[in-house]
Amino acid sequence: MPLNNDFDVIIIGGGITGAGTARDCAMRGLKVLLVERHDIATGATGRNHGLLHSGARYAVKDSESAEECIRENKILRSIAAACVEDTGGLFITLPEDEDAGFGLDYQKKFIEACIKAGIEARAISPAEARAMEPSVNPSLIGAVVVPDGSVDPFRLCAANVTDAAMHGAKILSYTEFLDFIREGDTILGVRVLDTRTGQKAEYRAPVTVNAAGIWGHGIAEKAGVHIGMYPAKGALLVFGHRVNNVVINRCRKSADGDILVPGDSVTVIGTTSTKVPFEECDNMEVTPDEVRLLLREGCALCPALADTRILRAYAGVRPLVADDSDPTGRSISRGIVCLDHETRDGVKGFVSITGGKLMTYRLMAELATDAVCRKLAVHKRCQTAETPLPGSADGRIETVSKHFEGIATLGQKGAAGRQGDLAGKIRFDSEEDKQLVCECEQVTLGEIKYAVAELGVHSLSDLRRRTRVGMGTCQGTLCIRKAAKALAIALGDPSLEGKLAADYLDERWKGMRPVGWGDTLREMEFMQRVYKYEKPYSYDEV
Amino acid sequence: MMKFDVVIIGGGLAGMRAATVLQTEGLRCAVVAEGLSLHDAPRSEFKAAGGTILAGDKVVGGVFEGDRLRSVRTEKLGDVTLEADWFILATGKYFSKGIVADMDRIYEPLFGLDVLYEQDRSKWFDPAFSSHQHFLDFGVRTSDGCALKDGVRIVNLIPAGEVLAGISSAEGDAKARIQKSALDAVQMIRRN
Repeated sequence: MPLNNDFDVIIIGGGITGAGTARDCAMRGLKVLLVERHDIATGATGRNHGLLHSGARYAVKDSESAEECIRENKILRSIAAACVEDTGGLFITLPEDEDAGFGLDYQKKFIEACIKAGIEARAISPAEARAMEPSVNPSLIGAVVVPDGSVDPFRLCAANVTDAAMHGAKILSYTEFLDFIREGDTILGVRVLDTRTGQKAEYRAPVTVNAAGIWGHGIAEKAGVHIGMYPAKGALLVFGHRVNNVVINRCRKSADGDILVPGDSVTVIGTTSTKVPFEECDNMEVTPDEVRLLLREGCALCPALADTRILRAYAGVRPLVADDSDPTGRSISRGIVCLDHETRDGVKGFVSITGGKLMTYRLMAELATDAVCRKLAVHKRCQTAETPLPGSADGRIETVSKHFEGIATLGQKGAAGRQGDLAGKIRFDSEEDKQLVCECEQVTLGEIKYAVAELGVHSLSDLRRRTRVGMGTCQGTLCIRKAAKALAIALGDPSLEGKLAADYLDERWKGMRPVGWGDTLREMEFMQRVYKYEKPYSYDEV
Repeated sequence: MMKFDVVIIGGGLAGMRAATVLQTEGLRCAVVAEGLSLHDAPRSEFKAAGGTILAGDKVVGGVFEGDRLRSVRTEKLGDVTLEADWFILATGKYFSKGIVADMDRIYEPLFGLDVLYEQDRSKWFDPAFSSHQHFLDFGVRTSDGCALKDGVRIVNLIPAGEVLAGISSAEGDAKARIQKSALDAVQMIRRN
C-alpha cells in the first residue's frame, strides 16, 4: 500500500453527519478521508422535509432537543446562508385539536415552553395568520409564529464536503466500505470497494468514524460492537408548486403528516414514522396508506393541497438509537449519540456518531471531532459555528452578479440562489453556457459544467442534488435528454448519454408511481410518450 | 339545436381522421375540438370539404335515450345542443382527460362510460420506466365497436383512438392503430 493511503481519520458515510465531521476534522488540521458508497446526501440527509427547525416542535416534550435546535438554527442561518431560506413558521390550532386536548390551553403551554427554550414564539390571531400565509386552513382558531425556515439538505451537504476538500480532505464517493483492518482490539483502517471500477483498496488511520446513519448499525457489527438501532421510515410527498410561503405546523403533540415546508419551487408534506426491517432500508417504497395519511393531514394544514398536483413521493430512514441504559431497548433517544467504542466496548480507534437530526448535524460533527481529537491528542478548537460554508459568505445576487457580464439572466440568478457566492466560479463564456437546460428550475449549461468540474457529479441524480436539474414540475420530462447530453459531454464520454438518461428516468419514475393518479398520471403518460414514442406523428401513413 | 350526421368529440389524430373521411364522403360532420392540438393538415382538408369545427369548445354532457346518445351540450353553445345520428368519441387518454384517474378509480368524465382498468393501483406501473406500463392499456370498453354505459351498448356512440382500452400513443405501433380505429368508426357508419 502506498503511503498516501494513510490518514489521521477515516469517516464512513457521506450524509450530512459524515460531511460535517469531515469538515470539522479537516478544519482542525487533520488529514481526512471520507468514504461514501453512493453519492453524498443519498440516505436520510436527502430524504426529509428540508425543515430548518426552530425547535418549537420539541419544546413541550424535550426541552434539550428544542434548545439544541434553536442554537443550531441560528448558527446555520449565519454559516449556511446560501442553503437556508428564512420563511418563518406557524404552529396552528384547528377546531378538532381542541376536542383532542390540544386547544388554546395547550397553545399557551407551548408558547411558554418555547420561550423557556430560547425560541421566540408569539401568538397571533387567526386573521393575522391568514394574512401572513393565505394558504393556511382558514378555520384555524389560533396560531403561533416561530423562527422556522427551510434548508436545502443537498446543498448543505455539498457545501460541507466542498469545504472539507478545500481544507485538504480526500472525498471518495461511490466507494463502499467492506470491512475493517483490525489488529487485536484496535481498528487500523478500512477496506473499500470502488463501485464504479470494481477496484478494492485499503486505507489506514488511527481513528475511524462511523457516520453512516442507519447503515451504521451494520458497520458497527463488523467492528464487533452492537448499537441498538431502529430504522424508522418516514414518508413525504412533494407538491407541484410552492403552495405556502411559511412553514405550517400543527400545534399539538407531534404526529404524522403535520409539517408543511416550502422549499425552492415546491412544497413538502411529511412525515410518517414506521419501524421497518433493516433489509428494507436500501429500497424504500411509499405505500398507498402512507400517501392517504399524508394527504389527509396535509389538507388539514392547507386545504388547497387537495387540488394540487403531487409531484412525487419519497421516504427516508431515521437512525433511531435505543438508550444504552435501557436493556429492553424500548426507550428510544432522539438525541445525539456519540460513542467512543474504546471506553464503551473495548474496541480502540473507533467512534460512532448517530441519532440526532439534520438540524443538529453540525453539533454532532463537533462532538465526533472532539472525540477524534481526544484520541489523537490534538488540541484545536472547533470553528464550524463561526466560519461560513463555501457559497454562504456573501451570496446576495448583487454581489454574485458582479462576476457575470451584463445583466444577470434568470439562469444566472438561479445559480446564485443555489450556489451562493460560488456561483461566481461558474463560467458563462458563450451564449450556449447561458442557455437553460432545465427550465423548471432555471439551470444553465454553465452551472452543469461547473457542477461536474467542481462538485463530484457522476450521474443525473448526482447533478440533481447539486443543481435541482429535473426536480421541478415536469420531473425532467422536458430536460432529461438535454441534461444527459450535457453531462455526458462534460464527463468526457458522449456515449454515456443514453444510459444516464435511462437511469434518471427510472429514478424519477420511482417517486411518481406511489402518487400515479390525476395530474401526476397525466405527466407520467406524457413522459412515456416523449421517451418511448420514437417517431413523430405523420398523418398519411396508415 | 344544431343537427349533424356525425358529431366528433375531439380534434386529435383519430377525430380529425374520421371526420375528414366522413365529410369528404358527403356526411355533415361537426368536430368539437378542445385545446390547440388540432392537426393543421387534416383541419384544412376537413374545412375545405365543408366540415364544421367548434374550436376551443368542449363537450360537457349529453342526453341519452335508451341505447342511443341523442345530443350533446358544449360549454360555449350553452342551450344550443348538437344532435346527430352518430357520435365519435375521440377524446384521448389521460393527458387530454379523455379518461381520468383519481386515487381509487378510473372513469370516462363526459358520459360516465364503462372503462376497462385494473382495480389494484400497485399493478398499474412497472418499476422500469422503459418496460410496458399497464396503465397505458386502460380505456373505454366497447362491444362491437360501440361504447358501453352501465353495461348497455350505446349503438350510435363509437370510441376511436387513445380513449379506447388497448391503444396508447406511448406504444410503438400506436400511430397506425389510432388511425385504424378511426377508419373502423367510419366503416361502421358507412355500413349503417
